Amino acid sequence: MSLGDELRYLRAFRGGGNLRQIEEEIGLEPGTLRYMEQRYRRVGEDDEVLAKIAAYYDVSLGVLQYHRERYRKALSAALQQAMESGTTACFELRTGEALAGRVRWWDLGAFGLEPEGGGPLTVVQRHAVLEWG
Amino acid sequence: MPEDLRKIRKRKGMSINQLASRSGISIARLVQYEKGEQEILSTDLRRLAKALYVDEWDINPHSSPPPPRQERPARPPRPREEPPKEKKPPRRPPQSPPARDSQIAHLLTLAARFDIDQAALEAEIGKPLEELTQKEARSWNSRFMRRIAEERPPKRAIDRKRAYLPEGVDGFELAYLQEQQEAGVPLCFTLFEGQTFEGAVVGFSPYQITIRELGGDEITLNKLAIAYYRKAGGVE
Repeated sequence: MSLGDELRYLRAFRGGGNLRQIEEEIGLEPGTLRYMEQRYRRVGEDDEVLAKIAAYYDVSLGVLQYHRERYRKALSAALQQAMESGTTACFELRTGEALAGRVRWWDLGAFGLEPEGGGPLTVVQRHAVLEWG
Repeated sequence: MPEDLRKIRKRKGMSINQLASRSGISIARLVQYEKGEQEILSTDLRRLAKALYVDEWDINPHSSPPPPRQERPARPPRPREEPPKEKKPPRRPPQSPPARDSQIAHLLTLAARFDIDQAALEAEIGKPLEELTQKEARSWNSRFMRRIAEERPPKRAIDRKRAYLPEGVDGFELAYLQEQQEAGVPLCFTLFEGQTFEGAVVGFSPYQITIRELGGDEITLNKLAIAYYRKAGGVE
């Protein structure tokens, strides 16, 4: 799960506040949170900013730093590679489950995974993926 | 004996412009005074006397009109005697300078692409390369360039492997949902918290999916809360 997805999740979990209001409350430059939530590239390089956000959402800085390393473009690259090679890829989900299979397609928000042991295609939401390999 | 303003000014060798600037009276008014069209005002008389270094009573406040100008008889137009035009010799086209070394070198390079050596090229041109003018060299170079362009194989579509970035669209998932909606197949949705919902898709957007459960209830699921979904009951 990317930092952007984690921030979206945290915001939704807390009742889905207005980005601008949250930025004001935390004391961030306007657009900082929006940028972090929407970007596909690696974001959140400034640990001071991350610490402020972590404090607001009542999570540890380490959690946000963990998600920072799992940015969306990195997952895109892994999905593309898995799809091209046709090999089995493993995905650890936020639900605690691990899914393994062949990637049939992937796009902006999800990917289609053909389970390793057979069964119907599983559409996995990208923001639910914690780890991949 | 008072004199006319114009006479005094002329005697003093002063132009009307100078008098106007020295006295502070406008030229138009001075002209009127000099022509006798208007009597000189007492205030202006004082100014003029001062400007002309005369006493006030030396100036006639009412100048007599100037004598009419004797107009010169108009000069008859001089007959124009035009010198006979000399016939210009026909203009020669500008002589092109000899071809530059670079042009010759380029020409030889182009010819070599068709396996034409210098001797063959000179035979084709009809004279030694040293005698070519710049214009001729340019023309021959263009001719070879055209020939190259004509003989070049047609451009193939470039087989460039571009980065495939479906992250710019969400077409695959929406197409999948559309397919399932049309088929009416029930899907099983697992949320982040482990909760599951089962039902047929009745509508969807990039952010939400609405399903109708077996009991007939419709539920809208926020995609942010969904972890994954698949066909219910292990349907392939």
